[in-house]
Amino acid sequence: MSEMKTNTASAMTMEELKEFKGRSMAQETWRRLLKNKGAIVGMIFMILLVVIACAGDIIYDYETDVIGFSADLSQGPSLKHPFGTDQMGRDVFARVIYGARYSLIIGVGSVALGLVVGLILGSLAGFYGGFMDQLVMRANDILYAIPNIMLAVVIVQLIGTSVFSLVVALSISSATSFAKITRASVMTIQGQEYIESAYAMGLPTWKIILRHVIPNCLSPIIVQVTLAIGSNIISASSLSFLGVGVPTPMPEWGTMLSDARQYIRSAPWMCIFPGLAIMFTVLALNLLGDGLRDALDPKLKR
Amino acid sequence: MSEKTNEKKFTGENILEIKDLVVHYETDDGCVQAVNGLSFSIGRERTLGLVGETGAGKTTTALSILNLVPSPPGVIKSGSIVLDGEDVLQMSEKELEQMRGNDVAMIFQDPMTALNPVITVGEQIAESIMLHEHVSQKEAMERAKEMLKLVGIAESRAYEYPHQFSGGMKQRVVIAIALTCQPNLLIADEPTTALDVTIQAQVLDLMQDLIRRNHMSMLLITHDLGVVAEVCNDVAVMYAGRIVEIGSTDEVFNATAHPYTEGLFGSLPNLKDQGEELEPIRGMMPDPMHLPEGCAFAPRCPYATEACSASVPYLRPMGGTHFVACHAYDRENFRLRRNQNG
Amino acid sequence: MIRYVLKRIVLMIPTILITSLLIYWAMDLAGGDPVMTILPENATVEQQEALREEMGLNDPFLVRYLRYMGGLVTGDMGESYVTDRDVFLTFMERLPNTLLLGGSALIIACIIAIPLGIWTALNQNTWKDTGGMVFALFGVSMPNFWLGLMFILLFSIQWQLLPSGGTGGIEYLIMPAATVGLGLAALITRTTRSAMLDVVRQDYITTAKAKGAPRKRVIYYHAMKNAMIPIVTAVGMQFSLVMTGSALAETVFSWPGIGRLVFESIAARDIPMVTGSIILCCVLMSIINLAVDLLYAFCDPRIKAQYSNKG
Repeated sequence: MSEMKTNTASAMTMEELKEFKGRSMAQETWRRLLKNKGAIVGMIFMILLVVIACAGDIIYDYETDVIGFSADLSQGPSLKHPFGTDQMGRDVFARVIYGARYSLIIGVGSVALGLVVGLILGSLAGFYGGFMDQLVMRANDILYAIPNIMLAVVIVQLIGTSVFSLVVALSISSATSFAKITRASVMTIQGQEYIESAYAMGLPTWKIILRHVIPNCLSPIIVQVTLAIGSNIISASSLSFLGVGVPTPMPEWGTMLSDARQYIRSAPWMCIFPGLAIMFTVLALNLLGDGLRDALDPKLKR
Repeated sequence: MSEKTNEKKFTGENILEIKDLVVHYETDDGCVQAVNGLSFSIGRERTLGLVGETGAGKTTTALSILNLVPSPPGVIKSGSIVLDGEDVLQMSEKELEQMRGNDVAMIFQDPMTALNPVITVGEQIAESIMLHEHVSQKEAMERAKEMLKLVGIAESRAYEYPHQFSGGMKQRVVIAIALTCQPNLLIADEPTTALDVTIQAQVLDLMQDLIRRNHMSMLLITHDLGVVAEVCNDVAVMYAGRIVEIGSTDEVFNATAHPYTEGLFGSLPNLKDQGEELEPIRGMMPDPMHLPEGCAFAPRCPYATEACSASVPYLRPMGGTHFVACHAYDRENFRLRRNQNG
Repeated sequence: MIRYVLKRIVLMIPTILITSLLIYWAMDLAGGDPVMTILPENATVEQQEALREEMGLNDPFLVRYLRYMGGLVTGDMGESYVTDRDVFLTFMERLPNTLLLGGSALIIACIIAIPLGIWTALNQNTWKDTGGMVFALFGVSMPNFWLGLMFILLFSIQWQLLPSGGTGGIEYLIMPAATVGLGLAALITRTTRSAMLDVVRQDYITTAKAKGAPRKRVIYYHAMKNAMIPIVTAVGMQFSLVMTGSALAETVFSWPGIGRLVFESIAARDIPMVTGSIILCCVLMSIINLAVDLLYAFCDPRIKAQYSNKG
């Protein structure tokens, strides 16, 4: 009885059908995402955070408020200093706001770098198979054997402590997961006939990758990007906390916590607020990521 | 094995009577009306074929009989399912557990996924026995092996896992699980669809043989009219959650009354009439979230009139055990094209 | 099966070799000139050169690497620049502390997460599910070390119930283990829930219900036996996180494990200690990964069959 279905489908060409499906897919996803309260909260929080991080200069002066000194040493939260001040009289709120820049830049930067590398390696491994595949997969195995934090330590040791070295270090572990997703996606679509016909038409491989492979693994990648930004923000602050991330006068959240640790008895607010900032940022990203996953793959939700 | 049928307390004419069953799936995106006021019955030691396209509500009907409609999102809205004199929908959880597997057993469409991949097949058969009869584990395993032999699998394979069996073998195991407690009613949901053609016949023969030997009744869900002709005493044709035509196999095949049934026969290739073109039914199954008003088949029906969209047609007698739900028979002398020449 | 295990152990060797080569190379580049670190500032150029020769630093890189790996096999990985203590022995001394911390964290995590994951899955889309998931969401969003700091703030400073750091009786273990454990628990809860949700939708669960199996048996026997496979996978994947979490908790709670050893050595620029510890960590990870792989076989007869075929 399947004959009847093909009958009506043939009225629409495959190309039309795909476009129609693509457009309505994006709309449908967006509609479902807006139904998810958590995702909306996450989205609003992230927008606010980006705005505040950008607007930091308007309220506070970096040189004096963020890395300078002032006479208000170790004061508790007040109207003037909503998050209190630290041992050098710097406003913790101002530092947390500036810290958002570091976290966002490191989080987004490391995932972006990891994504590009992962997409390229994953596609190569999936498309050419054989030696290329073996190479990428063995590299994966080796990375799997090194605890992430040790890998980051080695890289930071190699190129020095800076925002850039953190981005590089964290992008490596992100790259492996993107490579895996892309590789799996390439493998599944490779046997399919429309790829073979694309080859037969003489389309170059990179065009096939751009036009067919990447759209195919878009959903898992979008979700993975959102979640990876969050986990990389945590990893970055962890490394800074351990003294191998962003160096000290800079207001990175993990660095702030590392400094604050010795004052935990006398000035606990120094410990509380940067941590809350990390938690809520990552929470927002996780809410958004979970929402996207449910919206992109409604089967999972049921 | 026939002793069991004799000792039954209730010996009504029908083993199963379903009346006005309504089942909906309520999701965020809307309400799927899977079954809309369905009624039919199965006589003792008879086999009823339930025929229809994918999405007509056949599997939902089958799961309703075991009260196993996945919930949420599935909700049995109304109706009754009387099994051997007792309404399944009124049973307590405990009564249901006793009924499932013991009085009614089910064979699923896809043997690849119907068996638990991490439990040996012997254990899976033995589990049925242990759930319903007070026997030791060892004894249950012995009986499981006998069951395997009965369905044509070597006893020694009882300790193997499902992934070590082929598709046809797995379906034999599923049949063994279903029949091991000698139920009175067997529900087979497209038992041969997922199998190779050559294996299909073997599995069907095996099922028929076991059913006859054990004096069981069967509800056979299929979309294969050839299977129906071979195996079933009665046929019910289902469309968009309703029965559109029901009767004995002979009546439905030789005096087809519903335009949809006619369409089903029209889409079958006929070896004797190779010159003739296939006549597929126009259009597609309606979206079960938005069923059309009146007769759900009207938009695709070559005989449809305005009256068809006005009200839902009810089953009307066509003589004998034959019933059809079609407004066209309000007109005098209405006959389907299929019946006009012969 | 035994042949497979042996084969896997043999296959582990190249991975360890390449990993250690990369680490050794990177640390060699990063480490700078150890002679400057060891000798007092007023040492003459001749003294420096003599020490270099003595330490074999003038040999080509590969020679030094091979010598180093030879030492690894016999447990001789050089001495710390700072304390002059044997690297291998120091690592082995600290290892039990990390294993104790990581192990208890993992146990805490599983005790909380697996029942919670099942419970939330079974109550899907109710307030119970939402509550459990909010807990898990906060857990995965919280930086581990910050949770540790908050524990200290509450239990050591505010209520003075537990010591804020060091080793000793079980009271010293509670907070570090809970810190690492809760973070892991959140992750495992999420995995368990989605594994369970996936499994209860499978056809064989309907088969089991259709047999007349009671709800409890369906869940704890039929569903759990299958859900364990992705759960074990997830727990296995978390070992890298256990190690990261332990390193952080060790720093927060002054727990003398290998994580703290590495970061203290980095702060002191004690290169042989850092290199040795990291390489030994990787060896440890490879062994753990192998153990996890073998554990799958116990959960999944399909993999077991593969193993016996292959080896």
